[in-house]
Amino acid sequence: MPRSACITGLGFISCLGNDSASVADALRTGRSGIVTHSLYDNPAIPLKVAAPVHGFAVDSPNYRDWTWPTACNLPRETLRGLAPHGVYAFHALEQALADAGLTATDLQDGTTGLFCASAGSAFLSHHNLTQARASRFERGNPFAVVSSIAGTLNFNLAAHYRITGAVTGFVSACTSSTHALGYALDEIRLGRQERMIVVGAEELNADTILPFVPMRALSTSADPATASRPFDTGRDGFVPTGGAAVLVLESPALAARRSARIYAELIGWGQAADGHSVATSHPEGAGLREAMRRALRDAALSPGEIDYVHAHATSTPVGDRAEALALRATFSALGHRPVISSTKGQTGHGLSLSGALETAFCALSSHHGFTPGNPTLLNPDPICEGLDLPRASLSRRPRFTLKNSSGFGGANVSLVLRAAV
Amino acid sequence: MCTVSPLNSFPSAIREAHARWLSDRDPHALATVVIAIVAFHLPPNIRAQYSENLPETSRLVEDLGFDSLVLAEIIFFIEDLYQVSISNDDLRRIHTVADLRAFVLSKIGPARPSA
Repeated sequence: MPRSACITGLGFISCLGNDSASVADALRTGRSGIVTHSLYDNPAIPLKVAAPVHGFAVDSPNYRDWTWPTACNLPRETLRGLAPHGVYAFHALEQALADAGLTATDLQDGTTGLFCASAGSAFLSHHNLTQARASRFERGNPFAVVSSIAGTLNFNLAAHYRITGAVTGFVSACTSSTHALGYALDEIRLGRQERMIVVGAEELNADTILPFVPMRALSTSADPATASRPFDTGRDGFVPTGGAAVLVLESPALAARRSARIYAELIGWGQAADGHSVATSHPEGAGLREAMRRALRDAALSPGEIDYVHAHATSTPVGDRAEALALRATFSALGHRPVISSTKGQTGHGLSLSGALETAFCALSSHHGFTPGNPTLLNPDPICEGLDLPRASLSRRPRFTLKNSSGFGGANVSLVLRAAV
Repeated sequence: MCTVSPLNSFPSAIREAHARWLSDRDPHALATVVIAIVAFHLPPNIRAQYSENLPETSRLVEDLGFDSLVLAEIIFFIEDLYQVSISNDDLRRIHTVADLRAFVLSKIGPARPSA
């Protein structure tokens, strides 16, 4: 059985661009996707910036009104069951397939599986239930359920592409698509599937994002250039983003047979929960520290072999502190100093999308030979003492990358990637 | 609640026909809209055959290839557009495009008598 999975295709619908080249360029140059943005016509709402995707008009609850920037063949029979973020996911998946040199027919023989992650569409749920309630539940959209509940991505994409392998969804908030990648690696390691498609997507709209306002989880800054400041003393919450990211994972044997271009290999993963709080991190990052330890053990690496850590750090006071302490315990305490960055300073936080999006960033970093920086980090929090947090990206290819994600309920997941060259 | 018309993305001729029905109760305008709704939902393999005219005698399931999900979509579209409720018993009596047009007409109110 293989120990690793090769990342052979990437697809992006993101605030940094809708193709790999634009995204890689943004990560190298520090270009931000965060702009002044309103999600609801109410100036009293303390959310002034966000990181939207461009080219898609999906803010109507009626799929017949939606438009997108490419000539993708998205038939009505598929579109009717999608949520807005399903449209992003479909486009990212088409892009990832083309990138991997695959067509839809390559996914249909049972050797390909599909793992997806999103929170569903609160926007469509709200609309559909409001409509149904207005008629006292006497009528309603027959696609209300499959277009809006968590699972909508796997329901629709599996049916559209006629995928007959393992298909399921993951719901662990901000670790969802990182969990999906970890379990996708296991599917390939166990020989159950030769290829896994992993999808993360979220919507950037009032119904998905504004419920975070009462949690005091969002940045109230009106300055797009500094609102998202992971590890900075001035950080005050996360900036929201939406979009989709897709990764194609293949067994090394399949990738070799196809002579596929390999961005990086996924060689290990680990998870550990905090067992502490429903919504905040363990104060010392205990679960994340254990997740990193387990991931390193799974990858048969020592902490000193990690060149780059792509941090989860969302720019919240409590979460970044917990991760900094976990990183210090894992690396600094043993005398190691990997480069660390959180690209959320450029993208904001994509919730269920973030793990897939940022692992795809890591794959680009490994493939193109650079290490993303922390362009919005002006005054590092003293809690980060000893951590190597460069502002600018580095022209350095990380051989081994550790990718962290943390989510509600104290879930923590870490992945380990190895450069393919 | 969002009040975007389900006809929002339809050709202007169809939206104008709907407006004509609302203002004049013109039954021909209603028929135009109902047929456009049916045509919009045609399966891709059937759509090409009926690019111009959709015969009113066409049977929804046997001729046009609608499955139960598409029938549910069409019914909801009509319910949403005309703010009516259509029961499963109603649905069982609708077999053709003409049945659907006649049913909608009877459900949403009589046409204005011609002068």
